[in-house]
Amino acid sequence: MSTVRAMVDTAGSQNPPADKRQRLTNGQLLLGLGIAMLAVLIIVTVFAPLIAPFDPSKTSPNSLAGPSAQHWLGTDSIGRDVLSRLIVGGRTTLLITAVAVFLALAAGLVLGLLSGYLGGMVDEIIMRVLDVVFAFPVFLLAIAVVAALGPTVPNLILTIAIVYTPAMARVVRGPVLSVKEWDHVEAARSVGVSELRLVLRHVLPMVISPIVVATSLTLSHTIFTVTALSFLGLGPPPPDPNWGGMLSEARQFMELAPLTVVGPATAIVFATLTFIVLANGLREVLDVGSWR
Amino acid sequence: MIRVVLTRFAWTLVILLGVSFVAFMLMRALPGDFAIAAAGSQSVSPEVLDAIRRDLGLDRPLLEQYFLWLGHALTGDLGRSFVTKQPVLSELPARFVVTFQLTLIAAIIAMTMGIATGLASARMRGRTDWFVRIYNGLILAVPNFVVATLIVLLAGLYFPQLSIFNYTPFLSDPIANLGSLLLPAFSLALAVSVTISENTRAAVLEISSQDFVMVARAKGLLPRTVLRNYLVRNALTPIITVTGLQVASLLGGSILVETIFAIPGMGQYLFDSINSRDYPVIQAIVVLAASVVILVNMLVDIAYARVDARVKA
Repeated sequence: MSTVRAMVDTAGSQNPPADKRQRLTNGQLLLGLGIAMLAVLIIVTVFAPLIAPFDPSKTSPNSLAGPSAQHWLGTDSIGRDVLSRLIVGGRTTLLITAVAVFLALAAGLVLGLLSGYLGGMVDEIIMRVLDVVFAFPVFLLAIAVVAALGPTVPNLILTIAIVYTPAMARVVRGPVLSVKEWDHVEAARSVGVSELRLVLRHVLPMVISPIVVATSLTLSHTIFTVTALSFLGLGPPPPDPNWGGMLSEARQFMELAPLTVVGPATAIVFATLTFIVLANGLREVLDVGSWR
Repeated sequence: MIRVVLTRFAWTLVILLGVSFVAFMLMRALPGDFAIAAAGSQSVSPEVLDAIRRDLGLDRPLLEQYFLWLGHALTGDLGRSFVTKQPVLSELPARFVVTFQLTLIAAIIAMTMGIATGLASARMRGRTDWFVRIYNGLILAVPNFVVATLIVLLAGLYFPQLSIFNYTPFLSDPIANLGSLLLPAFSLALAVSVTISENTRAAVLEISSQDFVMVARAKGLLPRTVLRNYLVRNALTPIITVTGLQVASLLGGSILVETIFAIPGMGQYLFDSINSRDYPVIQAIVVLAASVVILVNMLVDIAYARVDARVKA
């Protein structure tokens, strides 16, 4: 019940100062829940081939079977085990998501730090160029690029990394602009600390909290983009399963075997929810709200 | 004010040029020969391929090709479909109207739901606030294509007599048309309503803590009057802004939802074109949809600047 209250207590509510400790506890609980959900995702993803009871690509004459002791979630239209496909399919979906967001984060960090710390012309040029990319509707841009270049895993990763880079760069740049004026940076500079060291040791650690929260939120958005592209047929090529593709394939016979649709739907929602809960927990614990 | 509008307008033009350039370059970056893709088969004589190249201007420098293409696009010539060999523009307007209608209904549903839950959350606090925020957090994690698929599944399982796949054009039967768009619009609106709800809540909470609201209460105005004339009126600006900025998510989502509900709009057209590798159609739809989003964002910005005297550029 207290996790419930924690979600309620996020941004916008005016807690009296006496509530401070209480709020921290709720934030920690939310964060704990997020970490537990993330652990489930990671364990299932990493050990997928060991956990999956069947070969996800192996067909059998026993098609569209309901749940049984052998096939917990039944089988799909060509007799493949739905649970095994879900477990292994999570790998593709989450791998694309994680690598793409990591690349966007790396690019966003470099561009945001450069832009915010150096300021002036560099800032102006970087931000204007990113503004153009940012103005593109993310999903439409991703569809166009993947449709043109072909739906392969590297293309998907690169496309998604590019469309999310501007948002990450903005998240980094904002706080850097104010932190670089702070006294401890000035003090470090006056004793002759090099510029690179200033940025990495004195500015970056101060802006890490909002970046962590934004990364978690971006992960939840990216899961939508990846699964939606796969749903449209722009996902990783078959026969490797992925959640969006499974949901799309299963639609044809879903009234005969509802679990073929409910399975991937639940997986997508669980993964998205994980990063939303994580982001809210982190925001509470790291107290990012007070940044603005 | 004129300065703000002009700057924003010039900036929008730059972005639109960027969009068109990217869309153009992508179609030239297709793996393989564009002329072969246009011919629709591998076994075409070299003479025919040359004719296609000349016809499409593929033998000219790339930048010249871009401006030629842009000129044609601006005068309404978006090329011919690889599949039907008909001009793209002969099919697109009818599709666009359907998508526009779906998006509009979804926006109305989203605003109604979002403002109602956001207001309830901010005014009643306590248990209602809790409930709304948990609900918002959960719904935010459910993508629109999952909602749509589950609605179709539930309807098929429990209400098989409901025929949800028969889209009726507006002109043949307006009532049946609205009915056929209601469920798709709802699945499209759900996630957007959460964003509107959260923003409504934040806006109302912020405004209700301000002095002029306290003065209004202190001088004995009815709570109802304060709510209507002070809170809602002032919160409306951020709410409309947020709704405007959700157009991208509504248009993007309509691609998925139309495919699921078999609605003959722009989204389903795009889905079919992706599957048949009909690149001119993909290009046209992406450019059109992106332009609509960018133009709406511009209008929202300008409207915001006009309403809010604090915005000065």
